[in-house]
Amino acid sequence: MRGGGAPRHKKMKFISLVLKSAKRSKRRTLLTVMSVAIAVFLFASLRAVLDGFKAGAEASSSTRIVTIRSTSLIFSMPTSHTDAIRNTPGVQDLTWANWFGGIYKDPQNFFANFAVEPESYLRLYPEVLLTPEERTAFLEDRTGCIVGDGLARRYGFKVGDKITLQVGIPVYGTQDYDFTIRAIYRSGGAAVDNQSMLFHWKYVDERSLEKGQVGWYVIQVAHPDQATQVAMAIDQKFANSPYETKTDTERAFQSSFVSMFGNLNLLLGSIAIAVVITTLFVAGNTMAMSVRERTTEIAVMRTLGFPSSTIFLLIAGEALLMALVGGVIGVTLARVIVNPDLMQAGAFIPVFGVNNTNVAMAVLLSAVIGVLAGVIPATMASRLKIVDALRRVA
Amino acid sequence: MGLIGSYNLRSMIVRKGTAAMTAGGIAMVVAVFVMTLAIAQGFRATLVASGSPQNAIVLRKGATAETVSAVMRPDVPLIESLPQIARGPDGRPLASSELVVIIALPRQTDNQPANVPVRGVGPRAFDVRDNLTVVDGRKFTPGTREINVGRLAVGRFKGLTLGSDVRFGAATWKVVGIFTADDAAFESELWGDVDLMMPAFQRNGYQSMTVKLADPSMFDSFKAAIEADPRLYLVPQREQDYYAEQSRPLTTVIRVFGAFVTFILSIGAMFGAMNTMYAAVAYRTREIGTLRALGFSRFRIVTAFLAESVALALVGGVIGCILAIPVHGLSTGTTNFTSFSEVAFKFRITPALMAGGLLFSAVMGAVGGLLPAIRAARIPVARALREI
Repeated sequence: MRGGGAPRHKKMKFISLVLKSAKRSKRRTLLTVMSVAIAVFLFASLRAVLDGFKAGAEASSSTRIVTIRSTSLIFSMPTSHTDAIRNTPGVQDLTWANWFGGIYKDPQNFFANFAVEPESYLRLYPEVLLTPEERTAFLEDRTGCIVGDGLARRYGFKVGDKITLQVGIPVYGTQDYDFTIRAIYRSGGAAVDNQSMLFHWKYVDERSLEKGQVGWYVIQVAHPDQATQVAMAIDQKFANSPYETKTDTERAFQSSFVSMFGNLNLLLGSIAIAVVITTLFVAGNTMAMSVRERTTEIAVMRTLGFPSSTIFLLIAGEALLMALVGGVIGVTLARVIVNPDLMQAGAFIPVFGVNNTNVAMAVLLSAVIGVLAGVIPATMASRLKIVDALRRVA
Repeated sequence: MGLIGSYNLRSMIVRKGTAAMTAGGIAMVVAVFVMTLAIAQGFRATLVASGSPQNAIVLRKGATAETVSAVMRPDVPLIESLPQIARGPDGRPLASSELVVIIALPRQTDNQPANVPVRGVGPRAFDVRDNLTVVDGRKFTPGTREINVGRLAVGRFKGLTLGSDVRFGAATWKVVGIFTADDAAFESELWGDVDLMMPAFQRNGYQSMTVKLADPSMFDSFKAAIEADPRLYLVPQREQDYYAEQSRPLTTVIRVFGAFVTFILSIGAMFGAMNTMYAAVAYRTREIGTLRALGFSRFRIVTAFLAESVALALVGGVIGCILAIPVHGLSTGTTNFTSFSEVAFKFRITPALMAGGLLFSAVMGAVGGLLPAIRAARIPVARALREI
């Protein structure tokens, strides 16, 4: 009576038998289901964090390239680079920005804030979603700024609020900068996060101790295939000048940020493995215990004529069922708790949430746990010698 | 006590398969706990080792890190002339005016550009920081484009071996020496003459000054002297405090993350322990009844089963600590976000950390074993004895 060819009512009987034995010790089943649920929850959350880190790089545009100083991002270059870059064949459009590094009230309140050339920046980043009115309001106010909806939620910012940033980098002088929030933008893609604050480059440049400095250029090329060629052409223009540049695709630029955290993949990956192994121990243990408890019962079933393959499927099926139920609970919890609205990790950690792929992977994982945890006890049960088992007491 | 103690211990050995699985689950949790905290510990130790109790670092008021600080040239003689600063054999003050800039070098592991700090230092920098030793080659000669490289940086970034040429700041620099600094953050840096670094990076001022005080207790009067001078918009900090503060944001993140993961994981392991102990109690109902009939109190039964559970968990804890030990001393790196540069550090497992891991496992055992133990004590004697 192996699954496939068995008549329908036999299948039903089999399933109800599995359910019956799972209910035999409710407490044990519950504890096992919960421990699988917790493991799956943790696994799905860890995957979501990792994906959050990768998302920025993966969603980046293939027609945008970024030029920074060859020494490092923290050095700036003169605005005279603008025309030279614009005249490079293949360049469609460009914008520039500066890392401002301002401090909002306390250095602990970290969020990204940078000065951008507003009109071209919004043109190059259609992912910054603003209504035409909001856009105009921002462009018309020299001391205006826009903030991401995530950031606005974090600090309760509203349109029209005044924000003061202390200077974080000495080159911007010593006086505080005042801004008025002109709009709250939404993010239309992972290449733009919703935790940043953008304001006018001109406003900052006027008060900067060094005028006409640009942190990085973002360049739009007509076709992704041209990206490398244009990048090389730009770098060649400034080779051997005091302000050498390094141009890369937006993707490479973003993934260099991810790699700054060190080997995240390895760290989170090994924790995930530990999670799975722990659960295997717990679930496997439970199944082994329940088989031992049922030794006499199984022997009776064998005597009644149940083939050992059915016994195997019965035990393995029970393990699989518990693991799957646990998996579904864990994933549902993860889905509800770990989402971008609740998780405001802030600082340098990107927003993250459990997505459908995470869910699918986690459920698959729980099935694997169920099968692995069930195999040994099920083999044990199916290989029982009836005579020995019947002779044994408790 | 003797009877009941050995009874529980022996029962554990009889059921070694289940016991091993439960201990295994707890071992994994403890291993994760110890390993994540070893990262925080190692990172902190690396930064804290950078500070000496006798040294003070002078930064611009309000600056949280060297990279966002500024010390102007005219400030330097004002500070150097303060009497609290130790003098070298030649009578010159032991102070080093410095500039830290960040350059991009490819990492050995993934060839991705990493932010590597380059420190321009004064001629007396090696005397100010006495934990620095040149282990290979020699110190750079002031006035030349020579650099010294920290030992951890050599291993972590490409092209920094002794004798190689490094290009940055529109010039080529020659590596003439490798230094160690007791695993401090300096070992992730490149050091050269500050007076050549400044024009190379188009800077016209220093960022910080590190001074050696004649005596650690003179810090307060040194601070008062700087604050009293209206020409100086600067503030000194004890070097140790400065570096401890630098390590705080990242260690907090790692600790919170580690606590979160291990807490959730430990609930799973505790459920496992609970399962095992419930099963143990169920198997031994008759034995428990016998013990009660012999006159052992309910309290003794509870403590005995709790002790069994804790012992089981402690075995797991020991295994977990042993599993974690191989990562000790492993070198890795991350970005220090207060200075935006990459710091190489080593995983560090201290005895205190291991003790913490064991304590943690004991707690898991106690919490997991409590309910089953109470259940064991509650079983009515007559019914327990009747059970087969």
